[in-house]
Amino acid sequence: MTRQKRSRHRLKRTVAPYLYLSPSLVIIGLLMLLPMVAVISYSFQNSAVLRRDPSFAGLKHYQAIFADPVFWASLWHTLYFTCMSVIFHMTIGMIFALMLNSDRINPTLRNILRVLYILPWLFTAVIIAVIWRLLLEPNGVVNSILMQLGIIGSKIEWFSSPETALHAVTFANIWAGYPLFMVSLLAGLQGIPKDFYEAADIDGAKAYQKLIFITIPQLMPIIISISLLDFIWTMQVFPLIWITTGGGPIYSTEVLSTYTYKLAFSSYNLSQASASAVVILLISLGLTLFYIRYQKAR
Amino acid sequence: MAEVILENICKTYGNSFRAIDRLNLSIEDGEFLILVGPSGCGKSTALRMIAGLEDITSGSLRIGGVDVVDMPPKDRDIAMVFQSYALYPHMTVFENIAFSMRLAGKPKAERKKRVDEIAKTLQLTSLLDSKPANLSGGQRQRVAMGRAMVREPAAFLMDEPLSNLDAKLRVQMRAEITSLQKQLGVTTIYVTHDQTEAMTMGDRVAVLKGGVLQQVDTPKRLYESPVNAFVAGFIGSPSMNLFEATLTGDELTAGTFAIRLQDAAFARRPSLKSYAGRKIVFGIRPEHLYDSSLDSGRKYQTLPAKVTSIEELGSEHIVHLNIDAVRVDSGDPDAVKDFGLASNAVAKFEPESAVRSGSEIRLALDDTKLHFFDPETHVAI
Repeated sequence: MTRQKRSRHRLKRTVAPYLYLSPSLVIIGLLMLLPMVAVISYSFQNSAVLRRDPSFAGLKHYQAIFADPVFWASLWHTLYFTCMSVIFHMTIGMIFALMLNSDRINPTLRNILRVLYILPWLFTAVIIAVIWRLLLEPNGVVNSILMQLGIIGSKIEWFSSPETALHAVTFANIWAGYPLFMVSLLAGLQGIPKDFYEAADIDGAKAYQKLIFITIPQLMPIIISISLLDFIWTMQVFPLIWITTGGGPIYSTEVLSTYTYKLAFSSYNLSQASASAVVILLISLGLTLFYIRYQKAR
Repeated sequence: MAEVILENICKTYGNSFRAIDRLNLSIEDGEFLILVGPSGCGKSTALRMIAGLEDITSGSLRIGGVDVVDMPPKDRDIAMVFQSYALYPHMTVFENIAFSMRLAGKPKAERKKRVDEIAKTLQLTSLLDSKPANLSGGQRQRVAMGRAMVREPAAFLMDEPLSNLDAKLRVQMRAEITSLQKQLGVTTIYVTHDQTEAMTMGDRVAVLKGGVLQQVDTPKRLYESPVNAFVAGFIGSPSMNLFEATLTGDELTAGTFAIRLQDAAFARRPSLKSYAGRKIVFGIRPEHLYDSSLDSGRKYQTLPAKVTSIEELGSEHIVHLNIDAVRVDSGDPDAVKDFGLASNAVAKFEPESAVRSGSEIRLALDDTKLHFFDPETHVAI
């Protein structure tokens, strides 16, 4: 009787945690795992979704996208867009965070700047896209200021010229995304004990030495975590590019997300679109594993 | 090595709050001076002003004969040990100790040689590659000392360096720091709120209260001749018992008892006579109160007392008592304010004492050890 009771108790203790987790496990399974498995299976089928009995296509669709120069251009654009965004998000975020954390700036001004600097974060991608389309259009504010300052001689079609379009969308994305870094780094800066800087003052450290030897090493865990997350998120940016340039002109701002979207909903080649989506998934997965590993190592 | 001289140093925050008021201190070359006082007395502020981490509102500060008031901390030739140790967690022990040399651009070989020397002195050699997180409290404390020593400064400033250690380690580190200071012979200013540290470590002790220097003297003289009731109450553990009484002839009368004073008491304090017929504050340390039933207490006059509680510490008994007199507050903000109605005096009895909680006893008192203070100003008579 007691043995039976004990084994029942043990069973309860083993099963209970999974029961508590089950609602979220079911939701994750339905909303994430199922679509993922479906997309992976579509990438190995001919005329996926469109036909009721699609035939097995093997790696045909992967071969097709790897043979497509537009895919490679999109991959390169994605990397450029992502790397530049992350680097500048971090740099600008760090500069603004250091400014907001500085005692040398008047506290009232600091509070005003804090609100101003965080504003881009409040806008949705659609609004950001519209703002920058208006600002960067040939007769927009940016061109007029640059011309008045004598920096450019004639109006530049920022989003319509293949030479400038990728830089322009990257710029808009940098503007939209730095507040995440700023807020995280500011929180980190506020957590660095004042004693560290005072000890360094006594030891004779100059401002740049304090930044290199104390501030940056102390912020490193935040810098690495947020950079990895930003990399993963930025790689998947779609609305900003779709609304500003739509991937054009002449594929000059085509990134993996717009390339995949077009394959699926312009060409209705859902099988190839799935193959392209799987490539994005694999790259994101690699970065995510790296992130998880880093978090575990800490 | 150098002498440190503070002249009329003031620190005012905003327009009104004066954290330090005309502080005058002269710390000799190689001296170990303790700055002690209750929370908020300005001792840490004073130390930080010497370090250059706080601006000096007015006054002059000279280290080694050089006026350093307008100098940044790095040029003052001082090293500081922080309460938190302020060790950089991302650096190894070696890197922490060598940090100031690295900033100064000293070559690697020179850094290594110097750090190795210091590590040997502080028994840190085997820990040079460890990070602070992997060290014990005492080891971290030694690394902080090492970081201060590496600069060979004119003066060491220490801000409650032992307050993060457990009681046992604190006793050990107290001795270590004292002997290290003697060995190095560097002028040291040490801030603490722990009067045991103050009494055991320093050559001289400066007692601060409310930003005002009360007394600066050797530990022995502070204990024996406090200049006022605050110093009397602050120095010594448990604190000195202070009571109100009336001086009538050669007797102190309070409540239902009287203490007869010997001629020597008046001879030592000529102004005591002028308090005849007036209120006076008298003080007696717990160690100068005795159990009258033991040999040690038999020779002294006694007064009635009721035992309220006893702390048996093995080597002695701390006995809380109630005597028929009004207790006087020494002005120590850290002291337990509401002593309650239950007890108003503390005595240290020998462990042989058989007194029990609740019993009425005769409390013996060594009248030669009495201290007298003015009831208004609390200044020693």
